[in-house]
Amino acid sequence: MNRRDFLIHSGGGLGSIALASLLGADRLLADAARRADGGLHHKPKAKRVVQLFMAGGASHVDLFDFKPELVKQHGKEADFGEKVEAFQNGLGPWLKPLWDFKPYGKCGKQLGEVVSPLGDVVDEIAFIHNMIGKTGVHSQGTLLQTTGFNRPGFPGMGCWASYGLGSANQNLPTFVVLPDHRGLASNGTKNWDSAFLPAQHQGAAIYPGTKTPIEDLFPDDRAKFITRDSDKAGIDLLTQLNREHATSRPGDERLDARIKSYELAAKMQLAAPEALDLSKETKETLKLYGLDHGKGTFDKEINPVEETDYFARKCLVARRLLERGVRFVQIWSGNDNGFPRRNWDSHEDVKRDHGPLAYGMARGAAALIADLKRLGLLEDTIILWTTEFGRMPSSQGGKGRDHNPYCFTNWLAGGGIKGGYTHGPSDAFGYKPADRKNPTEVYDVHATILHLLGIDHTKLTVRHNGIDRRLTDVHGHVIAELIK
Amino acid sequence: MLFRCAVPVTLVFALLAVPAPMPAADPPKPVDFERDVKPIFAKHCISCHGAEKAKSGLRLDRRANVLKGGDFGKVIVPGKSADSRLIVVVAHDDPDVRMPPKKQRLTAAEIATLQTWIDEGAKGPDDAIKVNPADWWSFKPLKKPVVPVSREPKVSAIDAFVQAKLKEKGLTPSPEASRRTLIRRLYFDLIGLPPTPEEVEAFVADKNPKAYEALVDKLLASPRYGERWARHWLDLVHFGETHGYDKDQPRPNAWPYRDYVIRSLNEDKPYNRFITEQIAGDVVYPGTVGGIEALGFLAAGPWDFIGHAEVPESKIDGKVARHLDRDDFVANTIGTFMGLTVHCAQCHNHKFDPIAQEDYYRLQAVFSAIDRTDKTYDADPIIGAKRAELEQKKKITTRLITAIEGDARKRSNDELTRIEQQLAEAAKPANSPKPPEFGYHSQLGAKQDVEKWVQVDLGASIKLDHVVIKPCHDDFNNIGAGFGFPLRFKIELSDDVTFKTGVVLIADETRKDFPKPGTAAYTAKADNKSARYIRATATKLAPRQNDYMLAIAELEAFDADGKNIAKGKAATALDSIEAGPRWRKSNLTDGLAPGGPKLAAPELAKLTERRDAIVKAAIGEKGVAELAELRAEITKTDAELAKFAGSKRTAYVGTIHTGGGAFAGTGATGKPRSIHILPRGDVTKPGKEVAPGAISSIPGINGTFSLPPNHTEGDRRAALARWLTDANNPLTWRVMANRVWQYHFGRGIVDSPNDFGKMGQFPTHPELLDYLASELREHQSIKKLHKLIVTSTTYKQVSTSNEANAKIDEDNRFVWRQNRRKLEAEAVRDSILAVAGKLDLTAGGPSFRDFIVEKPEHSPHYQYHLHDPEDVKSHRRAIYRFVVRSKQQPFMAALDCADPSLAVEKRNETLTPQQALAMLNNKLAVTMAKHFAERVEKFGTTDAERMTTAVRLALGRDPTAKERDALAVYAKEHGLANACRVVLNLNEFVFVD
Repeated sequence: MNRRDFLIHSGGGLGSIALASLLGADRLLADAARRADGGLHHKPKAKRVVQLFMAGGASHVDLFDFKPELVKQHGKEADFGEKVEAFQNGLGPWLKPLWDFKPYGKCGKQLGEVVSPLGDVVDEIAFIHNMIGKTGVHSQGTLLQTTGFNRPGFPGMGCWASYGLGSANQNLPTFVVLPDHRGLASNGTKNWDSAFLPAQHQGAAIYPGTKTPIEDLFPDDRAKFITRDSDKAGIDLLTQLNREHATSRPGDERLDARIKSYELAAKMQLAAPEALDLSKETKETLKLYGLDHGKGTFDKEINPVEETDYFARKCLVARRLLERGVRFVQIWSGNDNGFPRRNWDSHEDVKRDHGPLAYGMARGAAALIADLKRLGLLEDTIILWTTEFGRMPSSQGGKGRDHNPYCFTNWLAGGGIKGGYTHGPSDAFGYKPADRKNPTEVYDVHATILHLLGIDHTKLTVRHNGIDRRLTDVHGHVIAELIK
Repeated sequence: MLFRCAVPVTLVFALLAVPAPMPAADPPKPVDFERDVKPIFAKHCISCHGAEKAKSGLRLDRRANVLKGGDFGKVIVPGKSADSRLIVVVAHDDPDVRMPPKKQRLTAAEIATLQTWIDEGAKGPDDAIKVNPADWWSFKPLKKPVVPVSREPKVSAIDAFVQAKLKEKGLTPSPEASRRTLIRRLYFDLIGLPPTPEEVEAFVADKNPKAYEALVDKLLASPRYGERWARHWLDLVHFGETHGYDKDQPRPNAWPYRDYVIRSLNEDKPYNRFITEQIAGDVVYPGTVGGIEALGFLAAGPWDFIGHAEVPESKIDGKVARHLDRDDFVANTIGTFMGLTVHCAQCHNHKFDPIAQEDYYRLQAVFSAIDRTDKTYDADPIIGAKRAELEQKKKITTRLITAIEGDARKRSNDELTRIEQQLAEAAKPANSPKPPEFGYHSQLGAKQDVEKWVQVDLGASIKLDHVVIKPCHDDFNNIGAGFGFPLRFKIELSDDVTFKTGVVLIADETRKDFPKPGTAAYTAKADNKSARYIRATATKLAPRQNDYMLAIAELEAFDADGKNIAKGKAATALDSIEAGPRWRKSNLTDGLAPGGPKLAAPELAKLTERRDAIVKAAIGEKGVAELAELRAEITKTDAELAKFAGSKRTAYVGTIHTGGGAFAGTGATGKPRSIHILPRGDVTKPGKEVAPGAISSIPGINGTFSLPPNHTEGDRRAALARWLTDANNPLTWRVMANRVWQYHFGRGIVDSPNDFGKMGQFPTHPELLDYLASELREHQSIKKLHKLIVTSTTYKQVSTSNEANAKIDEDNRFVWRQNRRKLEAEAVRDSILAVAGKLDLTAGGPSFRDFIVEKPEHSPHYQYHLHDPEDVKSHRRAIYRFVVRSKQQPFMAALDCADPSLAVEKRNETLTPQQALAMLNNKLAVTMAKHFAERVEKFGTTDAERMTTAVRLALGRDPTAKERDALAVYAKEHGLANACRVVLNLNEFVFVD
């Protein structure tokens, strides 16, 4: 039995590698387990993923899931035909979409006007309208979509992808997170922490445009004594001393691995700023992403130009990272669910908050899809748009909508996804799936994405505290209809 | 090394644990369900028809269920495969009918096997026989094994077991390490800090043959020992100091549990008591501080604040949050103490271990009365006793008053009762029902004479006529009208937001206690003074049972036209509980407050006068005087009690919670919630109700508690503690002995420390484990166990590899050498501070915070990058660091510290570029490099001398001439601080031989 068989047949799949988390060893083992075509269990269709996460709960009925019945019944007392438990007081009258819908693309998909920039690329997109969650609590909903579990303590989806596929560029983190710079969403870094997977699979939070975009990438400002020369000569001396130490202790590969980690750190100091530098991007590209507005400051009130700048800039950075071998990029829109709203939790006023956020998101996402396509990267890059839950088709008595964990929308594009396709309709109001017995769950979406990456979601497991853990828990089916 | 060393261990055991498939072409023997049929079902069917899913009610993972069939009837007819529906559907040609749908078909050979099995009568071992728990090594009774006879005269029991195994495997033990190596190893292992150069030299030079043993004793007696080993324990129990989840709020009172663990380890508390206290200390050891603080174990893990505080238990989401909470209690308890994955039985019976789903819910029932909450107690037992005495006295006095009043009522022919009712009615607010927005509510405090304030920003400086504050109404503790209204207070105006300049005092009630206002509003004249900010400051807070607080329903500010210009304006406060909608700052200016009393003051006074007259008529002058005396005594007792208020401490623990709003807890009665078996963990489909209990089929211990019907919730926890600490519990002692071994050697005898079940691993040295476990059970002393281990020859071996042994056992499973230790995040951080001369060894108390909190009022942002690394408060040992869940400390996380959201039974060990960057560039690391340089600067006149000192401090040895010269040359060119930075990054600094 060779090592690859050993690993794959050991019941733990790649799990055993968790212990061999050294740089060299990890690569060696992981590469041995991987197929020549880069997949783990079968030929992959995609190599990279971008996850766009709308924190707070984005409204499917206002953006992507057109419900003519809501327009007709607007203002009438909402009759769900059953007892409904709302998170707050979300059972006011039916509220029609806040934006007009019209068809886009060859597929004729109906989109809300506020996300009309996505109309240009809608033929690349597959929508899933019958997503269901477990609860209407932000923390649990967010964790469920990011880690597959509604409680903390599990690796983010990007960690699993990093773990399964390994690094394509050791000078950059394999899994990068671009948080909303105004604050972290529910659960903070729990949404991308590696939990029981080795730390190198943890999402590396990057704040482009700041002095130290990655934690500790450069010496702390207070250490004036460190210069470029002292740094370089210091690492050379360190390596020399460490080599002598290692030579007298043969058979401990960790000592060599640590020496190597300092070499890689130095390379990352060069690679990361280059990857995040947008100054070489052409005017056309900046225009495509809506970054040609020429504004240096923004209004105090939430507004579409500012939101476009924030979100699309992250999308452009994502494209640069993907080009350079980063496996998984997670982009966040929306901070914690506080006030004034800079997130999608529109209990008070959907139009006010969703308007600028959705427009900014649509500009950025549409540009990213178009740009990746132009570069030939779309075919093996999956884009997943998601959120913790949807919003109720009824109002909360005014202009806002309550949480709807019973039904919401995801969409995917690129990387082997069938474009211009709509899967799993919701019911006439967007309250629950049309076929309540066969909804789509996050496990199915995760299983499908792993499948496209060449991974069988049931086989990528890690033994932790006596349980073979996997991204999809004990659930999940690949959604064959979504795949080209 | 790890790759060669650790991985194959896992693999080998994984392979051992999985039975090898039988070859297909054996000579004909009866087809067996377990051996032949189940693998086929497992491959094709179990994903839908197993314990997890059981579609159409059909399970194919157990023979009994296959025989039983599904919702639509039988699927097999034993003896008649042709009549068996199972065969029909798997062999069907129509893909719409065929099973499994949309998946690979069964092969002809597989179908033939199924047919033969059915035709032979569908035989197989009985399921009941198969799950005999005694079949597994860890469930067998613990007996002290006989120590192998050794030819060496002075060999310890540990060495005898280890050497016997080495001999069996053809391995030879390694020589003893040098004293220089041993002292460094021992220091990091036992206290987590490096020895000073003086300590190293003294030990190396010590001629006494007992020097090593003396060093062990010294370190085990050091208070630093508990600080080191408590961290291992806190990893296991996933201790954190914020709730986690959404709006990650801090737990300022979590630290007493951390101190409890340190203290218990330092005192070498008997292990069975250590366990008992953490489950039921309040019940089994009442009146002790440890008995309360230990309950922090139950509260250690994450908690969904929104799922509790904003969603009541009556809602599904509220039920889910509370179910998750109890799941954490159960998993933490059984995982930590018994090393079993009981939480796997939440949706179905455990797939591998003898844990029934009902057992899991019985365990939930043990904890079903408690929640995670703050509990106030006396940190000093003497004061506690005194307080109890006073409270008893107050109770008796109150009883006497009640008796006299009752007598008065009777004698007045109930006239007194009527007038009392009128009075009570009159004090009620005029508007009813009261609005759900009660008002503003401060945080609770332990002292009464602490200032707390609320403030309203009018947006601009405006001329004011008068300011009004309105009291709250809350039925909490039957307080009702005037809830939380301060005893002493003042109202001030200013244009300075900080109230440092231009302050105008418009009301001063700070000199004597203000009479209880009921819901009557308080008005302060402002005399046309202009101000932008209005501040109401309480100088003496309102008392609750055990603590003090401030609550105000509304603050109004009227201009000359009589318009309330404060309405809707921003309110701030020194602190606030922010539990919307009832209590939050914004309620202060929302225009909603309970109405004033129904009767005006003069009428109220008349009623009171009338009441007094009736009392006097009923019980006479003497009775009235007696009543007054008793009431005075109550006041006096209250005053004495108030003196002790400061001695109270609050700990965040698992206990009965009494609260308002959605997070009500089980309240005053503490009655356990009823617990039902939840099929697939679904809270909307409660099944059979279960009684409290433990796992039913662990041999030797009875998992049924047989509690009397009138038992308290505490009795349930005490029963569980008894079950866990039962001498016959086969797991408790093995699990802990294994943990202790693991932390000394880097790997346990069982390398799955939290899983001693069938998915876990076999012990490499089963007899040794049982020997250590028996020692633990016999002496209940963890320190004894430490000493046994670290004084063994096995422990003292060198950590260097040798080829001959490596060929046989490359990963050192049989301990033919010591393992080289990569220091944990805490040890690295503490060592950096120690060698820099900055480590502050102050022990205990509230945690230091190496972050700045922004936006604390809603979702706190924990900003580590804003913290100043020169802040001396943060130079204490890492065990005293405030542990946040939603954002881990970046430096510690890069060094693989434990994630407080999951039970970490063994830390990951990584070497990543991010870790190198953290060691090189992190603000604490570089700041300490500078201090390290300042420290060594004084030790010598040349860079060579100084770098010699640096290496001695950091590595406990002299540098070689080559090392010294290289460092000195570098220091000359780039300065000492840079050279010290290099030393702190050396492999030898983080790897201990």
